[in-house]
Amino acid sequence: MNAPERIAALQGLGDSRLRKEDARFIQGKGNYVDDIKLPGLLHMDIVRSPLAHARIKSIDKTEALKVPGVIAVLTAEDLKPLKLHWMPTLAGDVAAVLADGKVHFQMQEVAVVIAEDRYAAADGVEAVQVEYEELPVVIDPFAALEPGAPVLREDLAGKTEGAHGKREHHNHIFTWEAGDKAAADAAFANAPVTVKERIFYPRVHPCPLETCGCVASFDPVRGELTTFMTSQAPHVVRTVVSLLSGLPESKIRIVSPDIGGGFGNKVGVYPGYVCAIVASIVLGKPVKWIEDRIENISTTAFARDYHMDGELAATADGKILGLRVDVIADHGAFDACADPTKYPAGLFHICSGSYDIPAAWCRVKGVYTNKAPGGVAYRCSFRVTEAVYVIERMVDILAQKLGLDKAEIRAKNFIRKEQFPYHSPFGFEYDSGDYHTALKKVLDACDYQGLRAEQAKKRADPNSPTLMGIGLVTFTEVVGAGPSKMCDILGVGMFDSCEIRVHPTGSAIARMGTITQGQGHQTTYAQIIATELGIPSEVIQVEEGDTSTAPYGLGTYGSRSTPVAGAAIALAARKIHAKARKIAAHLLEVGENDLDWEIDRFKVKGDDAKFKTMKDIAWAAYHQAPPGLEPGLEAVHYYDPPNFTYPFGIYLCVVDIDRGTGETKVRRFYALDDCGTRINPMIIEGQIHGGLTEGFAVAMGQQMPFDAQGNLLGNTLMDYFLPTAVETPKWETDFTVTPSPHHPIGAKGVAESPHVGSIPTFTAAVVDAFAHLGVKHMTMPHSAYRVWQQLKASGVNL
Amino acid sequence: MEVKLDKRYPLEVDAARAWQVLRDVKAVAGCMPGAEITEQLDATHYKGTVKVKVGPANAAFGGDIEVKQLDEAARRLQLFGKGADRGGSSASMDLTATIEPGESPAASVLVGQAAVVVNGKFAQFGGRMMTQVSDMLLAQFVDNFRAAAAALPGPEASAAPAPAPQAAREINGLAILWNLIKGWLAGLFGKRA
Repeated sequence: MNAPERIAALQGLGDSRLRKEDARFIQGKGNYVDDIKLPGLLHMDIVRSPLAHARIKSIDKTEALKVPGVIAVLTAEDLKPLKLHWMPTLAGDVAAVLADGKVHFQMQEVAVVIAEDRYAAADGVEAVQVEYEELPVVIDPFAALEPGAPVLREDLAGKTEGAHGKREHHNHIFTWEAGDKAAADAAFANAPVTVKERIFYPRVHPCPLETCGCVASFDPVRGELTTFMTSQAPHVVRTVVSLLSGLPESKIRIVSPDIGGGFGNKVGVYPGYVCAIVASIVLGKPVKWIEDRIENISTTAFARDYHMDGELAATADGKILGLRVDVIADHGAFDACADPTKYPAGLFHICSGSYDIPAAWCRVKGVYTNKAPGGVAYRCSFRVTEAVYVIERMVDILAQKLGLDKAEIRAKNFIRKEQFPYHSPFGFEYDSGDYHTALKKVLDACDYQGLRAEQAKKRADPNSPTLMGIGLVTFTEVVGAGPSKMCDILGVGMFDSCEIRVHPTGSAIARMGTITQGQGHQTTYAQIIATELGIPSEVIQVEEGDTSTAPYGLGTYGSRSTPVAGAAIALAARKIHAKARKIAAHLLEVGENDLDWEIDRFKVKGDDAKFKTMKDIAWAAYHQAPPGLEPGLEAVHYYDPPNFTYPFGIYLCVVDIDRGTGETKVRRFYALDDCGTRINPMIIEGQIHGGLTEGFAVAMGQQMPFDAQGNLLGNTLMDYFLPTAVETPKWETDFTVTPSPHHPIGAKGVAESPHVGSIPTFTAAVVDAFAHLGVKHMTMPHSAYRVWQQLKASGVNL
Repeated sequence: MEVKLDKRYPLEVDAARAWQVLRDVKAVAGCMPGAEITEQLDATHYKGTVKVKVGPANAAFGGDIEVKQLDEAARRLQLFGKGADRGGSSASMDLTATIEPGESPAASVLVGQAAVVVNGKFAQFGGRMMTQVSDMLLAQFVDNFRAAAAALPGPEASAAPAPAPQAAREINGLAILWNLIKGWLAGLFGKRA
């Protein structure tokens, strides 16, 4: 084979090899948690509160225990002796496992019923009688901070110090600031132009196709606990379970089998998991708990719910001088946000975006309300979606005020290529970027000038049946959490890990600390090894998710798999590569420096005929290793990233809004992403399509409305918008490649960019359709009804 | 979810007979489709049940009713009812109902103001239809109320035999749906006419 053929045979970096996972998924041969059946399996169902805020006067189990098949009913009283009725959250707060005297949100877990089958468990749930005394409900986070607001967390009475500093009100959780307030205030004081807007990012839910669930199986003889769980971070769960249960970590095995989508929903530890584990330990039998859809949307892991006051200061010609963002964050009843410990608002301080802003400040106040806890990163790095949304909306609002073109104001304020590595006013060090080139590529590809001309013509025509809007967003993410000097979870640094074993016949297995939920790790991780070691992807197995076999890792979320675990793979492979060189030198009887690496082999410099392939070397490693070198060919690497990575993108969207109905048709959506080195272009494209579709869902339809009593009025798929192929627009994708200088293979992570970037693009496009009528901002979701209301308000409905 | 109702229903019976029905909580409950008083605790406190089916939401509320005011002179009844169902819904109603004189001595008007608060699954599933369903239920209630009042021996000694007391039946979701569709169609054609 010639060199190109040998490269092709590896299916390494840059190859659009087909996903190895698909063979089992498209045949229905996946193995999800609910597929797991163990002998003697019991089933658990949960009694939930119909009220958002109430005192529990009594819980009567009598009737439930009479239901045939019901084995046990557990309440907070039963968990108290084990000290498991409350549990610590990732954010330094505590959350009730089962309501302890009081319910704090609708659908909160009050009791669990364990039964011989799922039906008996459900019947048991109906038979548990709970008597409530209603308390005043607080839904609005601003009202929660009023002096006379009802006290939501009586368990925190007298606690003036929270996990992130002083608490200033009984419903206040934390106040967190970043940037330089004095510098920002000075920039505003002297600025010729300022703009300010309240930007609300509504509460949404990741809504993965598979809901959360687990099968807990305690072996009372061996004292070992195995739990199969839909977890995006199985190792962290093992640590948490050990801390909570007192079982040694070595006797706990957490297995994440196939996962049907996570999107942040499956990072946390939920009461259902804890109760199933307790029930299994108490009963000595395996216990299964699987959420239904209503439970999933209502209780496990909402996202967003940020009320952001954005402000920009600028010169009269549109050069941005200062940024201020002040946020009220609705965290629900318990602070269960999944963020690195030191960052209660995640990486929200990426909100200076792609722009070179000299002075910036932001502040986030977390507030308790009678809503479900969560605050997860829904297909984004921690709070990056909110940050990108606020800065992109504010730049548009500034452009409108100044009468500047929305592309022009961005180009004017971009961080220039030569400024990288760029130090942001919030202290981030952006690794690499080339925003101007990417912007030009998109504007040319879409004929931006032509679109603006067409829009001007439509605006001039009073009989036009549609309003035309053009949304343009130029975003930068911060992903790959993260350097352990900044990022930890429960004190564990946010490194990730890889162990590679090359077998004697030249195939290999890699075990990882991450866990795929549809990202295609089994396909792409193998490609990195293929290029590093010259072993064909096809013979490289990738295993994840079983804490008994995989090295410790922090899991998959926040686009961290490629930036962190991907680097661990490359570096583990390079350890093997270094040993392979020694073996090759020994076999070829030359010095190590006399060898060149080429695709899949070491060859003697200047003599193409003298070489040893990695396959030859693997065989030799197990039976004729050089003297003084231990046999075998394997390596482990734990990678602590020196910095985050900063993927970016330029998105353009054209919408046509029906003036009669308010329906918004996405005519064109063009997404250019720069994720650095591209491992598998086909998977990247698939991830981008998925992310754009989820972004479309959030921007155009998803919402979790609450009424004044705290009833969630949208927790079924009748109400909660999940787009299908019917609603989803056509996507066009494009790319530039600006590798990360600090990542071993230059990759930055991609799957979340389309979600982060597309949401403000849709809003920008819809608002742009009304911009000539003086409209600056509209709150998501942009459903036909809401857009129609704007058409009426602007007097342009037909 | 809270629904506020403020309704006036003209009745073709005199105020005295109408009040006679209204002041009897058990009779009032009997007029409400699906409702029943199961126990009288004291002069002003009762226990009762209401069964409702609306689309996917199916509830059997059991709860307490308290008569807060019974003003004979003003012919006004004020009551507060509160209940929960086992499937995870709860509801309360604060009701003030008054019999006002009608346009003629033989007529009267039933005036009702109510604040109904519904929580849990019933609010989540049935929330969107609450107003329409309430209207439907009240229309049925008023029909029954009229019949009950007319059945009482009146000033001119009406000869109509008293109808048999209505058995508590559950509120039928299909019938409600049909009435909703009928109402909607009527609205459509009404506009065009």
